[in-house]
Amino acid sequence: MHDNEQKPGGRTEEKFYGLLAEFDSPGALVEAAAHVRDAGYRKWDCHSPFPIHGIDPAMGIRPTILPVIVFGAGMTGTALALLMQWWMNAWEWQWIVSGKPFNSLPQQIPIAFELTVLLAGVTTFMGLWALNKLPQAWHPLFKKDRFYKVSDDGFFLAVESDDPRFDRAETERLLREAGATAIEEVRYVTSPEMRRVPRPIMAFIVVTAVLALVPFAFIAKWRNSHSDKPHYHIVPNMDFQEFSGAQAPNDVFPDGRASRAPVEGTVAHGELKADDHFYRGIADGQFARSFPSQVEISKDTMDRGRERFTIYCTPCHGEAGEGNGMVHARAQAVGATATGWVQPSNLTDATYVKQPHGQIFNTISNGIRTMPAYGSQISEADRWAIVLYVRALQRAKNASIEDVPPEKRPAIK
Amino acid sequence: MSTTDTHTTGALPANEKVHLGPLATRLKGLGLGAGLVCLAAALVWGLMLGDDMRRFMHSYLLAFTYFLSFALGGLFFVLLHHLVGATWSVVVRRLAEILTGAFPVLFLLMLGIVIPLWLGNESLYLWSDHDIVEQDHLLHAKAGYLNAPFFAIRMLIYFALWLALSRYFLKRSVEQDTSGDPALSDKMKRLSAPAMILYAVTTAWAAFDLLMSLAPHWFSTIFGVYYFAGCALSVYALLAIMSYALQRSGRLTSAISVEHYQDLGKMTNAFTLFWAYIGFSQFMLIWAANIPEESVFYRPRMFTDWKWVSLALIILHFCIPFVGMMSRHVKRNPPLLALWCVYMLAVHLLDLYWLVMPSYSPDKVVVHPIDLLCLAGMGGLFLFGALGVAGSAKLLPVRDPRLSGSLTFINQ
Repeated sequence: MHDNEQKPGGRTEEKFYGLLAEFDSPGALVEAAAHVRDAGYRKWDCHSPFPIHGIDPAMGIRPTILPVIVFGAGMTGTALALLMQWWMNAWEWQWIVSGKPFNSLPQQIPIAFELTVLLAGVTTFMGLWALNKLPQAWHPLFKKDRFYKVSDDGFFLAVESDDPRFDRAETERLLREAGATAIEEVRYVTSPEMRRVPRPIMAFIVVTAVLALVPFAFIAKWRNSHSDKPHYHIVPNMDFQEFSGAQAPNDVFPDGRASRAPVEGTVAHGELKADDHFYRGIADGQFARSFPSQVEISKDTMDRGRERFTIYCTPCHGEAGEGNGMVHARAQAVGATATGWVQPSNLTDATYVKQPHGQIFNTISNGIRTMPAYGSQISEADRWAIVLYVRALQRAKNASIEDVPPEKRPAIK
Repeated sequence: MSTTDTHTTGALPANEKVHLGPLATRLKGLGLGAGLVCLAAALVWGLMLGDDMRRFMHSYLLAFTYFLSFALGGLFFVLLHHLVGATWSVVVRRLAEILTGAFPVLFLLMLGIVIPLWLGNESLYLWSDHDIVEQDHLLHAKAGYLNAPFFAIRMLIYFALWLALSRYFLKRSVEQDTSGDPALSDKMKRLSAPAMILYAVTTAWAAFDLLMSLAPHWFSTIFGVYYFAGCALSVYALLAIMSYALQRSGRLTSAISVEHYQDLGKMTNAFTLFWAYIGFSQFMLIWAANIPEESVFYRPRMFTDWKWVSLALIILHFCIPFVGMMSRHVKRNPPLLALWCVYMLAVHLLDLYWLVMPSYSPDKVVVHPIDLLCLAGMGGLFLFGALGVAGSAKLLPVRDPRLSGSLTFINQ
């Protein structure tokens, strides 16, 4: 600092901060504060080693806005916690916890409480610093040796020269009247160079910032590389939990099994499947001739059906459903036809065109002849989508020119 | 409240009125008369109902635990004051000590629960009914603890302790009014720590015995704290109300300032939150685990008409007063604060009603005039008891070594 001041060439300028007055007791300071307040000054402050009761009203300090800010932060915390838990548990990743509803207020309250306290607490702390314009690493008053007593037994009042009412002689007279034991001018020298952050501090900031990136660099490296070594177990008892696997033996229960059968008469969530039409393709005791109401006849369903059909059905039935998929081609190539290979059905045959929707659904679910059951692999909604797509294939195969829109017919001919 | 310089000099003005004087005698007579008449009327009405005194006993228990919470709150305040060496609360400590003066009368009123139990009246507690206990595995297993003689013994122990402690602290405190001996403060401080432990244990156990055993299958380890939350809440509310009433009558006008009101308000507000915190902690674990012998307590309170009372408690006992009393402007406005405190005492009563009455009528909320008669009667006797013991004492500890600190106390 002192080196900087004497550096030649810098555009140094001297500034007049104001007047610093010392008082010999907290009581004297409070009285002086009331004096200065009544004289109408605005830019001034009191400095003391400890908080003084009654100095706020004596200085005419208005009640702080902080409680309102903290209340707002607390309410934000409550709202944020409720929103977060609703989003996580009831929306983004529905997960049943001990049979409670997805969106369940009682289990959200502890988190809501904590987040309320957290946001309110942090806001109190940060707000206190911000409203007091802290931290201040430097202040003109630090230039005065006398001011060092402020952390010990000195009680000070400083009036800034920027104050519209400030008048060198008049203000000094006022402070003297108010009982100041000593009054000093505060002048300080400043220049752009002095306002620069000192070199060691700057170096510290740069080094810290670079070091802070190192963990991220490692994480990025690890995420993008492979290793044949076993990975680190940071929380081993979470990675290796002591629970019994399915079908494992367990002495706790009389039947010696770890797996528990569901209580008789209970149905797991979403497993009731009471709707015969949707789940079994049966309506009024017969194979349904219509699609169930859950299935929307739309382009989306058709696309989904096409995709599922391509995955599950084309290997045998072929892209167009004509029973000539890759499996059949292979069987012919290895001569399996001679040993009893039966060609998969041609789904566009009249037999299948005439079958009710529900019967095709049933065949997909339970299989038929050498075709295995797909009920465990394809969900009901997807099976219905496949039925829809099969209907489209049949229509395409057995189409006449009337099925083509008139304006496109010339292109086909 | 006053603009005298009491709060800067720390000395009481000579003209400060610190006695109840003839008012004490009038209030005592009024309390005794109204108390006896109302309780007798409740008793006769209860006999006429012909329900084996079930309604009367439940109303009696409700009123008893309500006023017991005032005295227990007072004792807590006094013990805490000495335990932490508090300064701000010196000016209102005597008021709390006066509240603890009601313990002898409460002891007599307690006999109204124990004696019928001993005589074989089974109208209040399920566990006192031999036929039920014989057939109920759980109650049978608990019979070693939940039986009339042991219940009576425990009550005697609790009250012996509360009587001794309240007497000790009141006597030392009043003695200091004349002698001004600071050693008395040290004595009280030394006893306060072990006394606080005994207080905590007995209060929790009394809550288990008097209130929790109404649902004898149920158990909740936090229940004692739940009842204590009501005790602490009511004492801070009561002190604010008493201070305001006394100041309106021209007493303690210089001693108690808005600073003291603000602190009483802070504590009332804090214990409003504390009550909700404990109540919810009790509820959430039981709700999450959903085990029959635990959820049995909440079943009537969640799935019958009582659910509206439960809901009302959350809103009226927590949400509204917590936000309503949060601002310092409310706490520094004595009439407004006193109004909030009266409100808190009312919802505290609703809370106890919610604890007691579902065991009388699990399906429906039935309010009966006997409830009000018991409350009025017990309230009158409480007043008589408190003033009978401490009515002639000064209204603040005039020679407490920390009094001047309390008079000059400022919140900042």
